[in-house]
Amino acid sequence: MWDLFVSIFTNALLWIYNLVGQNFGVAIILFTILIKVATWPLNAQQLKGAKAMQDLQNDKDWQAIQKKYAKDKEKLAQEQMRVYREKGINPFGSCLPTLIQFPIIIALYRSITQALASTPLDLLKLSRSINADFLDVANLIPLKSNFLWMNLGQPESVHIPGLAFGIPTLAIVVAATTYIQSKLTMPASTNPNDQSAAMGQSMAYTMPLMLGWFALTFPSGLAVYFITSNLLGIVQYAMQGKANWSNLLPKGMRPS
Amino acid sequence: MRKKLLFISMVLLSAVLLSACAGGAIRGSSWPGLTADGDIAYLANGGLVYAVNLKDGKEIWHYPASASSKQVFYAAPVVTEDGLIIVGSAGTEHSMIAINPADINPETNSPLEAWTFADATDHWVASPLVVGDKLFAPNADGNLYILDLSDGRSQKQSVAVVELAGRLWAQPATDGEHVFVTSLDHSIFAVDVKTYEIVWHEEVGGAIPGSPTIGADGMLYVGSLASQLEQFDPQTGKHTSVLDAEGWIWSTPVVDGDTLYFGDLKGNFYSFSTSTGELNWSAQPDGPITANAIVQNDHILLATESGNIYALDKDGKTLWFEDIRDEKLNGKIYTSPVVASDLILIAPLETDFNLTALDTNGRTVWTFVPEK
Repeated sequence: MWDLFVSIFTNALLWIYNLVGQNFGVAIILFTILIKVATWPLNAQQLKGAKAMQDLQNDKDWQAIQKKYAKDKEKLAQEQMRVYREKGINPFGSCLPTLIQFPIIIALYRSITQALASTPLDLLKLSRSINADFLDVANLIPLKSNFLWMNLGQPESVHIPGLAFGIPTLAIVVAATTYIQSKLTMPASTNPNDQSAAMGQSMAYTMPLMLGWFALTFPSGLAVYFITSNLLGIVQYAMQGKANWSNLLPKGMRPS
Repeated sequence: MRKKLLFISMVLLSAVLLSACAGGAIRGSSWPGLTADGDIAYLANGGLVYAVNLKDGKEIWHYPASASSKQVFYAAPVVTEDGLIIVGSAGTEHSMIAINPADINPETNSPLEAWTFADATDHWVASPLVVGDKLFAPNADGNLYILDLSDGRSQKQSVAVVELAGRLWAQPATDGEHVFVTSLDHSIFAVDVKTYEIVWHEEVGGAIPGSPTIGADGMLYVGSLASQLEQFDPQTGKHTSVLDAEGWIWSTPVVDGDTLYFGDLKGNFYSFSTSTGELNWSAQPDGPITANAIVQNDHILLATESGNIYALDKDGKTLWFEDIRDEKLNGKIYTSPVVASDLILIAPLETDFNLTALDTNGRTVWTFVPEK
């Protein structure tokens, strides 16, 4: 079942690759846009749920029951559920869309790495996952993995004369765009005990490091996907009016 | 606090999961490379290269002392006249190594390197070819690296780098004047063995994952993923398609007089006459064929992906077949079998043993399972 899911993604990716004159970099970008558009409602729902939970943290009634039932966890849970019901908030509203998207992200990732088959066994598997009815497999294989200055099947780095090591520009851009995206989606919180704000802070530093590490060590085709996905995420937040641009400024310079 | 810990744990778990998925993409995974010399078989099987005694199937040594993702070996090792074992890595380090089995580290019982070559920028999937004192080594970065085996250096530098095209996955062939190199980029190149210049370059309809072979008629033959057997004039590169196969041709055609034997990925096995240019016969064993056939005396030995070894006579009649699959595991054969010391050596994938030796009647003599 999972292999079938990945195979559908791989075929779609290769179909786009063929359509755009066998440019795998452009194919990854277009396919990522397609996936982002398809999952737009899920992302919107996630943003909405996250905002509702954020607002709740600053709600006076909510803070009051946190204080009142701090020592009675069972009663606290009951009261929290009551508030959720009254305000029409689904506590899993922000998590569920993310969970649904997770297999999509993994499948996209798998299809990119599968399409870049780097060994004979990988190529054999790729040949069997392509639908020969609508793709000219013999002509398509192997994929042309060069895009701009990169080999999409290899980790990227730019070598500057005089430097003994390469500069991983793509990994830096991945980390930077992930950081910006995380900061933009972080609403200002006035509550010092706000757990979701604390999680957001952790995420703003953990995710860029994690994705930057992936971009540093894995094929650069994946980094192209991360960057495209991050930029589209930022565009979506901005279009929905959710982007908190002031978060990008140093703390002292933020408008009060 | 608990939620924060849960979140961080989930992020780390995602990282581990993605790393696990991606590991395959970076290191690559493939079928083992197998070769034999005298009474020893050399098996390149992922993180380790094993030397196995053909008399009893016991390990003599393995290299390196412990496996890592830096060095991963799938290309069939090449044994030089002075006894070095040359093998390239498809790991994160793209090094080619000459193992010296006469120089064993007493602490690890693992042999040391006689030399290494680290200038390639991509995986070593192809075995190199030794021509005199030169090593012609095609890399997946599209370059043919030529090394001098007699320069005495421990850190080799290439004598010449010939820029070809596409990923070079197959061991070259030579007619003494040229080295013929196939590419996944639908191309075949003839490189002058002395000047290292490209003499000719031709394209076919599909990728060429297998090696070329020189027939008894002096012509060059190669199969492609366009399902065609191509014939080339080794001097000029002039070529023509001589046979349309049903499936992709991955294996290298094997020469027996004026006959070529090869299989395809649709599970057909062909006998082709180079003197008449006609198909003698074709057979349908039980699965796709990536492995090269072997002609041994009056038998033709072939292995299928399904895990069976077939012995055919030269009219295509099955003499015997052996299922090497474990009762519980679906062992598959992609690696070309090797005949040595009257044994047929098979290196299957997805079984609980890494190497098995059959006698000439297909009966198992021993199986090799590495110590853990």
